[in-house]
Amino acid sequence: MEENNIILTIKSLSKYFGALKAVDEVSFEVKRGEILGLIGPNGAGKTTITNVVTGTYPKTSGSVIFEDTDISNLKPYQIARKGLTRTFQVVKPLIGMTVEENVLVGSLYGRDKRNTDMKNASKRAREIIKLVGLESKKDSLVSDITLPDLKKMEFARVLAMEPEVLFLDEVMAGLNPAEVEEASILVKRVRREKELTIVYIEHIMKAVMGISDRIVVLHHGRKIVEGTPQEVVNNSAVIEAYLGKRYAKEVNNEG
Amino acid sequence: MFNNKKVNIFLIIVGIIIFIFLPRFVSGYWVRVITTIFMYAVISQGINLMSGYMGYLPFGNAMFFGVGAYITAIGMGKGLSFLAVLPLAALTAILVSILFGLPVLRLRGHYFAIATIGMSGALLSVVQNATEITGGAMGTTLPIIDKSPEVTYNYFYLAMLALMVITTLTIYLIIKSKFGFGIRSIKANEEAANSMGINTTYHKVIAWAISALFTSIAGALYAYWMSFIGPEEVFDVMIAVNTIVIMLIGGAGSILGPIIGAFVISLLSEVVWSTFLEYHLAVLGITIIIIVFFVPKGITGAIADFVKKRELRLRKKVSV
Amino acid sequence: MSLQMLINAILLGGLYALMGIGFSLQWGISGIINLSYGAMVILGSYISLEFFNLFHLDPFISMIMSGAILFVIGAAIYRTLLQPLIKGGIVFTLILTFALRLVIENIILKVWSADYRTIRVTYAGSNFQFGDAYIPLIKFLAFIVAGILIYLTYLFMMKTKTGKGIQAVALDKEGAQAVGIDVEKMYLINFALGTALAGLTGSLWASIYSFSPHLLGSIVGKVFIIAILGGLGNIWGAAAGGLLLGIAETTGAVFFGSEWQEALGMVIMVSVLVWRPYGLMGKKFFG
Ligand SMILES: Nc1ncnc2c1ncn2[C@@H]1O[C@H](COP(=O)(O)OP(=O)(O)OP(=O)(O)O)[C@@H](O)[C@H]1O
Ligand SMILES: [Mg+2]
Repeated sequence: MEENNIILTIKSLSKYFGALKAVDEVSFEVKRGEILGLIGPNGAGKTTITNVVTGTYPKTSGSVIFEDTDISNLKPYQIARKGLTRTFQVVKPLIGMTVEENVLVGSLYGRDKRNTDMKNASKRAREIIKLVGLESKKDSLVSDITLPDLKKMEFARVLAMEPEVLFLDEVMAGLNPAEVEEASILVKRVRREKELTIVYIEHIMKAVMGISDRIVVLHHGRKIVEGTPQEVVNNSAVIEAYLGKRYAKEVNNEG
Repeated sequence: MFNNKKVNIFLIIVGIIIFIFLPRFVSGYWVRVITTIFMYAVISQGINLMSGYMGYLPFGNAMFFGVGAYITAIGMGKGLSFLAVLPLAALTAILVSILFGLPVLRLRGHYFAIATIGMSGALLSVVQNATEITGGAMGTTLPIIDKSPEVTYNYFYLAMLALMVITTLTIYLIIKSKFGFGIRSIKANEEAANSMGINTTYHKVIAWAISALFTSIAGALYAYWMSFIGPEEVFDVMIAVNTIVIMLIGGAGSILGPIIGAFVISLLSEVVWSTFLEYHLAVLGITIIIIVFFVPKGITGAIADFVKKRELRLRKKVSV
Repeated sequence: MSLQMLINAILLGGLYALMGIGFSLQWGISGIINLSYGAMVILGSYISLEFFNLFHLDPFISMIMSGAILFVIGAAIYRTLLQPLIKGGIVFTLILTFALRLVIENIILKVWSADYRTIRVTYAGSNFQFGDAYIPLIKFLAFIVAGILIYLTYLFMMKTKTGKGIQAVALDKEGAQAVGIDVEKMYLINFALGTALAGLTGSLWASIYSFSPHLLGSIVGKVFIIAILGGLGNIWGAAAGGLLLGIAETTGAVFFGSEWQEALGMVIMVSVLVWRPYGLMGKKFFG
């Protein structure tokens, strides 16, 4: 029962770039249906974990178990077809195509074992465009739309792939507070409707707190804490990682 | 090109019918010129599929033309009929494209373009030196059709026209299909495409095989038509260069681009040849420079921009 | 391999090295595959021919003029034609430089015809002995001069402010821009330097071998191989690539027959591309 509840297991995963240990023996589990926050200061290794888990970079060592299979030697497209998908911190739109075509590609490819003929895929793409609120822009070229719309487009595109697990890499970056608010509501709603499991990556702590069920904190490529938002926010190691040693001491002395 | 699908289909059918009957109204010289135009359009479609749609410039694509031509020459030399040898020629070209494509399609941008030139050059040398089989650098002859020249030329005219129509239609259908979205995504952003579940290697190899298929059939027809071929001629890098220019001028990544480009460039060089005999290279070069500068999106791109602008103007008028 | 063969190979390789560097710099740093490079090399040969016919100037002297004239031509071409189109990507620059090749080729054909030409200096027949091998004096001189020019190019890149600027741009364009380097100017100088090297090679070539517009295509084939062997934009890499090609061609001619020379070069190039995309020197010089 418990076992079945775990959809993704990351086991002593490491990724080195030469001498730099960007990810260093990191282990954690992701439960089916949860939103797991993955936070850490700049350069902590969040994007690198995403890149290794989704097959963009080869691992140095460790394993990634997705629904009972080790996916850590598969190619990105194979992993995507199994139902594990990601957005990019720096958006990667398909330049030269319209918003609708971008989403359609996600719908046509993406997870396998579903109906991806042209008619079905187009219908799904249109539904999802409506869901994220991009209908008025669907015929615009992606080169002609604003950054918030691009982020929405990318979100719609991964949704159209109908994944089970979704890594969202700093989807809020570059948005203003009002847009962040709107986007969080959208993410929560979609998660519920589509029964998604989400690994939610942010380096701004505040943004993650409200949305995550649990949080994993990375620092210098290592996992330093794992727990509920409350536990994490009061953890001195986390405060230290974010604000430096002196501040951590002050907080501890006061508390 | 225009927005109404039915009008488009109608225009295209009318166009095809006109071309079928055209040889009755023009001289034999022009029949040959237009046959060449069809041939260039076919090769250019092959480049368009790879470069215009997928973003991989196959600078060495002439090798498939050469392979098609030589397999035809060798096979017919051994007494096979053209129709028996044609599938062999196409199959060989496809095999070559897969064999070369698997390692080389991992390379991006410049590197891919250059690697294909290298392969083309290496194949050329092989053909030049395997004298016993290919006739070597001196070239080789094919059986001549036992009919009057006029009948023969009409026959090749129609065959090349059919090949152009089939090539264009096939590529059109591919582009509109799931596979087509796959290869367009590779041009747009290969990393994103891969992470969206697109097996990029598979798409690239198949696309090149399709490109090789049509290019090799053009080569096979050409060899039979000329009844004499030389290695330098059918493996000439200029074939690729010309057809790249044709694609650019017609409009890269547009289905009618290669056809329009082939007509414009070929008719242009006809004029240049006859008027500026001694300067035709320079005039051609300058023409290319001018076109690249002033019509960078090609003719179809320029028309699309024009239509778009007019629509915007109309909309503005309505809202005022 | 006999000593004589090795010496022949190295003497030829030295010229190839100089020829390859200009092309490699243009491709690796300015991002332009210059299909008119062969035409520019030959143009250098004809410039020396003119100076020889008119003033009896030795190619070793008139090469300075070749270099200077081609530097100016290169700068002008870059500014007016290439710079505005560089953003259009590889297809545009390839086609544009190809068109340029046609124009230059046509000019050469018109002015000097398609015949092979030779410059015969008085000491053309002199040899000296080294072990049991003979070394033609003129080839030896050309080799030394090529070596000096390569070293000067290296010094320029390492020691001068402009050279360092070019390197900075090659390594990190945005970074260079941020610290106030005029990126476009660096590309321009680098490109013009490349054409100047083409011109210099052309003059050296003309002092030894006969030349005609027919050579144009095979020169481009060779510089491709050299640049890729050495890694793009890498001076010593291209120098090594040039020597290697010289040796491969000379020995290849002996073992396989000279008709396989070009195929051998192409096969080497494609293999390097596939297995060592950054060249045999292995350093990734640009992204
Ligand atoms: N391709 C790469 N090559 C070399 N080093 C890399 C590469 N990608 C990431 N790194 C390094 O790995 C470390 C972790 O980077 P990563 O991008 O994973 O951090 P991050 O937690 O996502 O940071 P941010 O919040 O800034 O997005 C950094 O020191 C980074 O410079
Ligand atoms: Mg990151």
